[in-house]
Amino acid sequence: MTASRTQHLIASSIILVVALIVGWLSFTQQPAEAFLFPRLISVFFMVLAAWNFIRAFLALSKVGEGLSAETALAIAPGLLVTLVYVFWAAKTVGFYASSTAAFFILYTLYDPEPLSNGRAWLKRVIVTTIFMAIIYALFTLLLKVQTPRGHFL
Amino acid sequence: MKTLLKTFGASLVAATLAGAVPAMADDYPSRPIGVAVSYGAGGATDFQARIVTMVAGNEDMLGQPMYILNKPGAGGRVGWNWFASEAEADGYMMSAYNVPHFIAQSIKGGVQYSADSFEPIANWGADPAVVVVPADSPYNTIQEMVDFAKENPGKVTLSGAGLFVGHHIAALQLQKATDAKFVYIPTKGGGAAAMKAVVAGDVTGGINNLSDAFRAAEAGNVKVLAVADLERNEEFLPDVPTLMEAGYDVDNASVNFRGLMVPKGTPQEVIDTLAEKVPAMFNHARVTKRMAAGGSPLRVMNREEVQAMWAKRQETLAELLEGL
Amino acid sequence: MEFLAYFGGVFEPVAFLLLLGGTVGGLILGATPGLSPTMAVALLIPFTFHLSPTQGLILLGAAYTSTVAGGAVSAILLKIPGAPANIATALDGNAMARKGEGARALHLSFLSSGIGGVIGVLLLIFLTPLLAQWALAFGPSHLFWLAILGVTVIGSLDSKSFVKGLLSGCIGLWLSMIGYDDIQGAQRFIFHDALTGGIHIIAALIGIFAIPQVLDMFAKGRRKVVIETVAVPVHAFSDSVREIGRSGRPLTIGTIIGSIVGLIPGIGGQIAGLVAYDQAKKFSPHKEKFGTGHPEGLIAAESANNAMVGPSLVPLLTLSIPGSPTAAVLLGGLLIHGIFPGTDLFERNPEVAWTFINSMLIGQVLMVIFGIAIAKWAAKIARAPLPIMASAVLVLALFGSYSVQQSMGDVWIMLSLGLGMYFLEKFGFSAAPVVLGLILGPIAESNFVQGSLIANAVYDDWPNVMYFMTGPLNIVLIVLVIASIGYSFLSHRASARADAAQRVAAQ
Repeated sequence: MTASRTQHLIASSIILVVALIVGWLSFTQQPAEAFLFPRLISVFFMVLAAWNFIRAFLALSKVGEGLSAETALAIAPGLLVTLVYVFWAAKTVGFYASSTAAFFILYTLYDPEPLSNGRAWLKRVIVTTIFMAIIYALFTLLLKVQTPRGHFL
Repeated sequence: MKTLLKTFGASLVAATLAGAVPAMADDYPSRPIGVAVSYGAGGATDFQARIVTMVAGNEDMLGQPMYILNKPGAGGRVGWNWFASEAEADGYMMSAYNVPHFIAQSIKGGVQYSADSFEPIANWGADPAVVVVPADSPYNTIQEMVDFAKENPGKVTLSGAGLFVGHHIAALQLQKATDAKFVYIPTKGGGAAAMKAVVAGDVTGGINNLSDAFRAAEAGNVKVLAVADLERNEEFLPDVPTLMEAGYDVDNASVNFRGLMVPKGTPQEVIDTLAEKVPAMFNHARVTKRMAAGGSPLRVMNREEVQAMWAKRQETLAELLEGL
Repeated sequence: MEFLAYFGGVFEPVAFLLLLGGTVGGLILGATPGLSPTMAVALLIPFTFHLSPTQGLILLGAAYTSTVAGGAVSAILLKIPGAPANIATALDGNAMARKGEGARALHLSFLSSGIGGVIGVLLLIFLTPLLAQWALAFGPSHLFWLAILGVTVIGSLDSKSFVKGLLSGCIGLWLSMIGYDDIQGAQRFIFHDALTGGIHIIAALIGIFAIPQVLDMFAKGRRKVVIETVAVPVHAFSDSVREIGRSGRPLTIGTIIGSIVGLIPGIGGQIAGLVAYDQAKKFSPHKEKFGTGHPEGLIAAESANNAMVGPSLVPLLTLSIPGSPTAAVLLGGLLIHGIFPGTDLFERNPEVAWTFINSMLIGQVLMVIFGIAIAKWAAKIARAPLPIMASAVLVLALFGSYSVQQSMGDVWIMLSLGLGMYFLEKFGFSAAPVVLGLILGPIAESNFVQGSLIANAVYDDWPNVMYFMTGPLNIVLIVLVIASIGYSFLSHRASARADAAQRVAAQ
């Protein structure tokens, strides 16, 4: 399966916009000496992004499978948990508490076992506990990393 | 079951409260203390910091170990920016300072710190800058090199570990004192990369740390022409003249002082505890032995002495960097 | 042959125990996401305070050797490269593990690491004086061209489209310029406070490789995908040995490239694996299989990044100039014990120098033995059910990227880059060129700036042209750059034409 022309067009125009912003910043920001190299790179960046856009426009872009509605739907819940976990919970709630929760929720969300299966719940609890114990042994006991404690741990 | 849950809930709340309330200053330190180093692992500051903090965990010292956290980048700006803006002022995160580096950078601007953002604790070392040339260089004295630079302005290249660090200050001072024009080549990757440029002959000469230059000279790779300090270094380089002796008005403003500091806003009791115990830690017999073995000059100064030194550097550097 | 006389020192009880400990510990530390060999060796320095200089160096040498190889374990099993050295390993190694060939991938990786590593150390033993001069021959102009040469590899590396490969490289180069510029100290492209420190390469690696993978596992949803792996016959170790015996070409390419790249100060081992992977692909009759779980790429990458270990110490031991960040940490470890490396190191402290080198030699062998021993069990990790794998990789990515500098900003950068990479991959862009751009950008830039400062002082007319484009080494490198661009452009056109012909034939 490959992505449609529309999808390629959207993707390549986003990249073109990024390239143009980078180019604009490189040529306007001061001090000029520090932006010498960024200018050089941004020229290549803009030319290639434009080329890529034209290829998408002419429907020459072949590689890449694109994003189907089905894939997006399957990813959505996991992505949401990931975003909340990394950008908010890890620091506010604490590394260990949030990681345990995130691991357990994601495992449950994507586990093919039906939710009514009691043994599956037990297995999930055990696997989560073992995994977090390994993480604790590795990062806190062995490497002495001081993780953010947040409100819990 | 209900009571069990209740107990569990209560203990959870208790644990939460205990975690939320900042640790009392009177039992400080109750957990390991971090030391942020603004240079990469393996650099002179990093490796000296690892030596001088190694006895922190001893009962008669702080009773808690110190661990090193490297935050390198942009000649130290990345690490000190982080320390000034993000590190918690609870005494559990300290940073190694390098003077004149961070003071010069704050005068130059574009950073989120100044000398007022930090509280010094104690100083452990002082490493003067020296002028080095490759072993096969035609120059055998500092005068020969300066004379050549005077006749050929802009032809003499000197490498050093970045802009607005001790090496750069020394180059600026030398330029001001001699009226010659040098081209200062800042390298990425600290003193080691700057020394490599000298040994390989990529540049005419370089400004480097005394300890590194001493080793390179011992290995026969470079010649050390002068020391940018008020006195000769009797221990390592007794035969190398100071720039003052050579007739150039360059003082010790570029000497690289290294020590520990905490962010402004750290409780006074914590600062007092540290200011009392840390100098003793630097003077511990095992620390001095290791420092001497590594060829790193030790100079322990207490909090008051460091405060005076910072103030003096602030003044000299503001004057030197004016109009640059 | 002087080194043979000092082999006894390695086999003294305490020394040998340290060697064992260093090897096993190094494998574990190397396999931990977020912990590069440099940090692993730095963490061990305090332990050496309590040891004699020789013992301390045995520990550090063994750890250095095995962390580099240990990084391959997480690259293969979790697709989280432990260090830049293991990027190329992740490309084919993880694909093999997903196919159920994890044990085979681990065997091949440890065997080729061991072979490359031993040859690298032998080079260090026999050719040190010769190689030291070679290491110094690279000035700023040459390093600049080398970085550019590395960038040109982007066009042909793990990418089906020439334009998109180069564009991925540009994105990487741009990302590398975010934050403070290292020489001038100016702030560039800082859109958020977390970016002031720039993008840390290890955090970026974790995000770019691990996160798209996690999302792909989510995408497979709650379907029962147990039968993803066809029943794989148990992979016997003897088969791996025979396979290595038949893989002369990738092994030779990997070892040669690793040794050469390792020697050059400043470039170090970061790109040895990637360059070797790319060259092995160019010389292979099975180009199209690269990236789909083809052992040749894995063998070239792993032999290269261990072959680089020995030669990377040449500038350190002879000139006291650390050629790589890890060598810089080792220098610290030497200095603490009052040992100053330099031309006369082998006369003044022969027992320390030779025992250290011997310990790396024996360390390579021990590493292979331990690696093979754990391979069978470790490979099972890659076959864990998808929901467990996805959650585990995500949590590991969080802890790993945080532990690099204990900074939340790195964690946020890690996830943002990972999400961006996921969408880019969906449209035919690939991760390896982005990472290569990220690594080579600062090298190219700082050497360019230094070079032009020197050029302006040395030459009166056309300084940059004179400095960067004259002299035999510059010209050789420029020719290589042009050849490399031409090659990847032509081969892409050829394969595009073959594709088109196939499509026509199919209709």
